[in-house]
Amino acid sequence: MNLVPFLLYIVAFAAYGWHFARRDPAVGRIATTLLVFAALSHTFVIGMQTMEAGRVPIGGPISATSTFVWLLTLSYLYVEMTTEERAMGVFVLPLLIALQSIPAFRTAVENRSPVLQSPWFGVHVSSLLFAYASFALACVIGITYVLLFKEIKAKHLGVFYARLPSLQVLDRMNQRAIMIGWIFLTVGVVVGGIWAAEARAYAATDPRVQAMSLLDPKIFVALLCWIVYSFELFAARRIGWGGRRAAYLSALGFAIVLLNLVPVSYFLTKSHNF
Amino acid sequence: MHLLLIGLSHKTAPIELRERVDFQARGIARALEAVASSSTAREAVILSTCNRAEVYAACDDLARARADVTAFIGGFHGVERADIVPHLYDVSDLQVARHLFRVTSGLDSLVVGEPQILGQVKEALTAASEAQTVGPVLNRLFHASFAVGKRVRTETGLGSGAVSIGYAAVALAKKIFGEMQGRHVLVIGAGEMGKLTALHMKSQGASQITIISRTMAHAARTAEAIGGSAAPWDEMDTALAASDIIITATGAPSPILTKARIEAVMRRHRNQPLFLVDIAVPRDVEPAASEIEQVFVYNIDDLQATVRENLARRTSEVARAEAIVGDEVGKFDAWFRSRGAIPTVVALRQRFETIRRSELERLDFKMAALPPDARARVDEITHLIVEKLLLMPTEQLKALGDAQTVGAYAEALTRLFGLAEPTAADPRTEDDAADQAVGDTRVARVEPFSPRESRVRSGRQSGPG
Repeated sequence: MNLVPFLLYIVAFAAYGWHFARRDPAVGRIATTLLVFAALSHTFVIGMQTMEAGRVPIGGPISATSTFVWLLTLSYLYVEMTTEERAMGVFVLPLLIALQSIPAFRTAVENRSPVLQSPWFGVHVSSLLFAYASFALACVIGITYVLLFKEIKAKHLGVFYARLPSLQVLDRMNQRAIMIGWIFLTVGVVVGGIWAAEARAYAATDPRVQAMSLLDPKIFVALLCWIVYSFELFAARRIGWGGRRAAYLSALGFAIVLLNLVPVSYFLTKSHNF
Repeated sequence: MHLLLIGLSHKTAPIELRERVDFQARGIARALEAVASSSTAREAVILSTCNRAEVYAACDDLARARADVTAFIGGFHGVERADIVPHLYDVSDLQVARHLFRVTSGLDSLVVGEPQILGQVKEALTAASEAQTVGPVLNRLFHASFAVGKRVRTETGLGSGAVSIGYAAVALAKKIFGEMQGRHVLVIGAGEMGKLTALHMKSQGASQITIISRTMAHAARTAEAIGGSAAPWDEMDTALAASDIIITATGAPSPILTKARIEAVMRRHRNQPLFLVDIAVPRDVEPAASEIEQVFVYNIDDLQATVRENLARRTSEVARAEAIVGDEVGKFDAWFRSRGAIPTVVALRQRFETIRRSELERLDFKMAALPPDARARVDEITHLIVEKLLLMPTEQLKALGDAQTVGAYAEALTRLFGLAEPTAADPRTEDDAADQAVGDTRVARVEPFSPRESRVRSGRQSGPG
């Protein structure tokens, strides 16, 4: 079922690419419309799965990835509609397509482990997924910032100069996305900690609960993320590390997020392999 | 009805002649009045900029109007016929549309794609509207040209990219800071070039301009001229730290802003972006300064290079713009042709209306007993029936393409309904009525322009006027 939004994302990407190349406003509107359709079909898929499982499909790495892509699409559409800037679409869509290719070709198995019955579960996973979606946007905005920065600095005004909004606007968007992401990351991590402590009481024999420690890769990498983004926010405000350095940090932060979202979830973690 | 254009531009006439044929200087209103009274043109618009002087006219007899308008241009400016005629171009009908569309798109401008011309064409139409020399044909033509100008600017890169040093600096500043509002500009050196660039920044919204010069009096004079403030030379570091954009234009033999000095400024600046525009030769900013994070240094050669690149890019967009112009000329052509059937449409409507009225009058005594609102209803219903009956024939006539078919239809209708030639007491009101009859909605869709806005636009942008 995840195949339909996947294909629509590819079509929307083609339209965004065409819009980026030709700068035709009509094509831009078509691209947005296609992405809205992709988001709607994805909403439908997630809605069906929610009805089937009785809760949002986030209990397992494959369905969580699909939900993450869906959240990222919605966040991107929100940014696009509030800023009227479409140039970023061509950078966001490849990420959506790459991630959506995981649920598109595999069936998600919803985990029904008793540990996941806690009400904390929904808050923990959805706030982290939302935080990661914000960081993904921050990363894309940061990349475009660096591309534009390099063009202006090198006095070679070309493709990005003609299409992207100003450095100031990109910097502000980046900071806002990181701020929002950081808040949700903090909430998600704190809730996770509380939940793990509670779970020890009622599911002490579960090997995954026993593995919940700061040294477990999933938890360790999440905390690393938190440190990177906290530093970014501090540095941008206190020591004038805005602009390009902030952009590089947001790219680094998201690389860590991706690491946590895909390989760590699949192969390394002992505590989060639900 | 024919369209006629006679004029001269930077492509056909030397500056000496263009200066003499300046409608703006002698008063457009007067000129419009003169052309309306002295020629057989039924509608007229005069477009006058420093690069062109053109008279657009709608007329019935092309040859006579051509002679009239040519004589008017020479006569109005007191230029000998022999001096002006070799420099005039004259085109008619669809070629007029093509020419005007190219003009408003900026394709015919000295600097291809310059933005001012669209505002100037709008002003020309406003002046003619005020002088009441515009009718449906030129009104339609000019509004179509505004749409073409807009289309070319949004769909092609013809008007994109700065093509003067001042524009290039402002465009870069906007790409760095987002907007000029709230930006502090510091000008070092009180020369003409720095002053012009600062003025440009101010007109784009820069909130504060400070001038520093070695001679305080000089700085104060320049500051007064552009509405900024002056600061003494030895307070430069304070001024540097408070600025976002610094324009340097001194005659100093060696750089005044060294890398070390700017590094110190950046520390006080909390690493906010700093944009240095160095238009001095020899340079005022040490080239190594651009190595500092968040510092953007552009010297006069860099700016000139972007200007050259932009000009080249504009040239490469010409073909796309010409294609749009061709497309729009085609649309205008369809409308223009549909006007061939207008006299017939008008006559047909007049005929139907006459019959309706005479029948209502004939039956008046029978309706005398009816209450007033019922009589009004009868009037309304009969009117609606006539409208309904005429709708299809009107649409069909409007859609006719070539003159021959139009003639055949006209003759058939004249015989079938016993139509007389429409009573042409006032050709303009007839045209208006016909226009309503042809019922085109496209004019209404063209964005209504405000003359004030266009004046602001052309006033704000300096460039070849």
